[in-house]
Amino acid sequence: MKNTKKKIGLFVCHCGVNIASIVDVERVAKAMADYPNVVFSTDYVYMCSEPGQKMILDTIKERGLDALIVAACSPTLHERTFQNVAKLAGLNPYQIEIANIREQGSWVHSDKKKATEKAIRICRSMVEKVSQNENLEPIKVDVHRRAMVIGGGISGLQAALDIADHGYEVLLVEKNPSIGGHMIQLSETFPTLDCSQCIMTPKMVEVSRHPKIKLLTYHEVKSVSGFVGNFRVKIRKKPRYIDPGLCNLCGECEKVCPQVVSDEFNMGLSFRKAIYLPFPQAVPGTYTLDIENCLGLLPIRCGKCKEVCEPNAINYDEAEEIFEEEVGAIVVATGYDLYTMDHLAEYGGEKIDDVVNGLEFERILSASGPTGGVVRRPSDGEVPKNVVFVQCCGSRDTEHHNPYCSKICCMYTAKHAMLYKHRVPDGNATVFYIDVRAGGKAFDEFYQRATEEDEVLYIRGKVSKIFRENDKIMVWGVDTLTGQKVEIEADMVVLAMSMVKTDGVENLLKELKIATDSNGWLAEAHPKLRPVESLNAGFYLAGCANGPKDIPETVSQASAAAAKVGDLFAQAELLHEPTIVPVIEELCSGCGICIHVCPYGARELDPVLKVVKVNEILCEGCGACAAACPSGAAQQRNQTDGQIFSMLKAMLKG
Amino acid sequence: MNKLHYYPGCTLKEKTTNLDNSTRAAMEILGYELVEPEGWTCCGAEYPLTEDKIVGLAAPARILRQVEIEGGNKVVTTCAFCYNVLKRTNEALLRDPLKQKRINAYLRDDIKIEPITKEKTTDFPEYFSTVWVFHLLEFLKNEVGFTQFHSLIKRNLKGLKVAPYYGCRLLRPADEVGIDDPEDPHIFEEFLNALGCEPVDFPFKQECCGSYISVSLPDAASEASYQVLKSAQNAGADILALSCPLCYYNLDRRQDRIREKFPEFTGFPILFFTQILAWALGVEESVLGFDQHFFDPRPVLYQEQKTEAVS
Repeated sequence: MKNTKKKIGLFVCHCGVNIASIVDVERVAKAMADYPNVVFSTDYVYMCSEPGQKMILDTIKERGLDALIVAACSPTLHERTFQNVAKLAGLNPYQIEIANIREQGSWVHSDKKKATEKAIRICRSMVEKVSQNENLEPIKVDVHRRAMVIGGGISGLQAALDIADHGYEVLLVEKNPSIGGHMIQLSETFPTLDCSQCIMTPKMVEVSRHPKIKLLTYHEVKSVSGFVGNFRVKIRKKPRYIDPGLCNLCGECEKVCPQVVSDEFNMGLSFRKAIYLPFPQAVPGTYTLDIENCLGLLPIRCGKCKEVCEPNAINYDEAEEIFEEEVGAIVVATGYDLYTMDHLAEYGGEKIDDVVNGLEFERILSASGPTGGVVRRPSDGEVPKNVVFVQCCGSRDTEHHNPYCSKICCMYTAKHAMLYKHRVPDGNATVFYIDVRAGGKAFDEFYQRATEEDEVLYIRGKVSKIFRENDKIMVWGVDTLTGQKVEIEADMVVLAMSMVKTDGVENLLKELKIATDSNGWLAEAHPKLRPVESLNAGFYLAGCANGPKDIPETVSQASAAAAKVGDLFAQAELLHEPTIVPVIEELCSGCGICIHVCPYGARELDPVLKVVKVNEILCEGCGACAAACPSGAAQQRNQTDGQIFSMLKAMLKG
Repeated sequence: MNKLHYYPGCTLKEKTTNLDNSTRAAMEILGYELVEPEGWTCCGAEYPLTEDKIVGLAAPARILRQVEIEGGNKVVTTCAFCYNVLKRTNEALLRDPLKQKRINAYLRDDIKIEPITKEKTTDFPEYFSTVWVFHLLEFLKNEVGFTQFHSLIKRNLKGLKVAPYYGCRLLRPADEVGIDDPEDPHIFEEFLNALGCEPVDFPFKQECCGSYISVSLPDAASEASYQVLKSAQNAGADILALSCPLCYYNLDRRQDRIREKFPEFTGFPILFFTQILAWALGVEESVLGFDQHFFDPRPVLYQEQKTEAVS
């Protein structure tokens, strides 16, 4: 239903001086007044302001406008605003178009005359477009009011609890045998020095008891299909070979298991058996048989654990299971890992036993750790009298390692040094730092306390080399405040290794098809205004999967993500943008080219009719298929080939 | 016998002819005849330290052009300093067309005077950057292959603990010259393993020996060299192997100064990597010029052989 006789109004915004200083907005308004179909043209200082919107509203009514152009900033900012104005005035919201003369005009040009000319051409092309716009209605979709949270660390737990407390069912999927993540490994937390386990375990218990939360530990997300409100998720259940309902944690199996392997929970500083409880407060409280290290499930090869298991909880025949669930929203809380020390050969790589990373030192400090909370170094179990802490190991190094700041290391190093001094009052703690970034509530006070009360020596400068000499560890560095070389004979060194994306998470993210930034962190939909959503509708971000964060920030983000899930579930139905790309069946030859270019899997070939069918909900209106279609059967709504050619003509003529 | 362009550099040519001889002898056994580019000059020893100073590139570019004129596309050197300068010059000309243009403007003006007619001829071509610069260690690994040693080894070095000393110029700047990871290099260890000896890891393997500061501040250089030697000694090495004649000069020939400054130091044997190679390949002892060393490495070499023979 082409309407070439529309009455179109044009509203040119100054955006203060953002546009008006480069583009002569009055001239644009004047030049456009004579353009065919334009019945009204004006300029105003802030179109998005209350009076600006009112002017548009009144003009639509007074002049009986059929369509309008707002020449202003990018449509990502205020398209919604002006669509609402149009709606208020009784117009279909798809009869408004934004002519972007700021991001594509004033901000990128300096020549006033040429920028003004370009702005006029942009306005002309939008008039051509809007005069062929159809009235559209949003596509309505049902919502499956059930969420999945991937990752059982503090962010995942918080998000799951909040969503469940909103009254919606939650699936919490964790790949490890227990929930708890990295936070349960920490000794104490800055800046209050609460015991991490003491504040973490109540949450873990709450999650396991919550009637709305279905806890799936030792499970992995295999694939996700569908769309916001209607995801179908395939989940793989890894065989635990032990029935959590029957296991009574007697520990007899562990005693007889002959296979000793390094203990992940203690960062390899101690050993566990192949059949093991990850840590005493593990949730669910059950032993797990680690098949990779087990001698073999055939009773003929070992089978010792099964023999001693009184409640008969061990079942060697348990097999992997894959099942499907339906959810409406997915919170991705896959956490972080530490950059491995082998990246830093100049600090001994991983070859010097007494050079440890931050998480290893957490376990050494922890009362539940391998040394029972006494600070002992790994090589010989001696109490170290000189400990050197090195910040920014692999962080803030654009040339060789990670360009970003890992954000929490300044604070946890201050905490480490402080806790060390509490445990070993006659020891020396020295910290090498580039900057101390203590920008959080009570953070700087905490750092001051470390330097003043606990007499931690802070040296501003980098460490060039760490090596073993006899039983000492030599640390070479520089004090950049005095310009002196520093050489310290240490007993132990703690490296504040950079935080990096969880090892192997890229496979999962590929399956979820959600975007990451150049460092592998999950990308937010907008860095300022939509920080907990992914650009892909229905996915929400929580915790360090999105970038380095401390615990308070992680918890806030998780709660925010849960609130956003709540927003989604509170809607009676979802509205999907109608500017999708349907198929004109008469023109479609069924060649299938569009199916392959579609990044959303929204198109498929109808086997009977031999034409392409479009899943309107999956289509995001990117237009890839419209560009690829050789017969013109794929035409994007309100962005048809006809519109594009008219726009080009208007843009290029005279 | 393959002909291979070889740039000895001034130190090997003048002060440490034993290193030059051992290189030639070893390479001959491996099937290479080393050919010096005609009329080679000093490479400049140090790559220009400022980006805009390009006249320092003229001499190395001229050497590389000579290799090109003589039809070579590879040139090896055993001196880490020469390697660094030649390689970085080559890279700079490849990466920066403007630099290449400017250097070629110099090279075109190169003047040759006919000895008889005293006439000037200026028919020198430009340098087209077709030459690959190798440090011999890298050449042995990538072009010859360390595995080639196996069948040619005549002297058993089993049990000889050798500390491989890299120094500075082989590894940095890593993106231009680095023949290995500058923080965690292995090429020297692989070389020693292939010869049958036992490489010993020591923390000072990439530290500075004092370099040419031994001219202006000999004391500072002695201290740096002493740290390197002590570190190798503490790590249990019998001998220290190196790949740079300047390191050799500081670490061996200057041991008299080190002893003066650190009386507890009793001396430590140093071998150039081609000396070990030649020794393993059975080259006559006289060619290797052990008598030119300040600290004679022969007792260690022979002792190892004897213990090996006994066991």
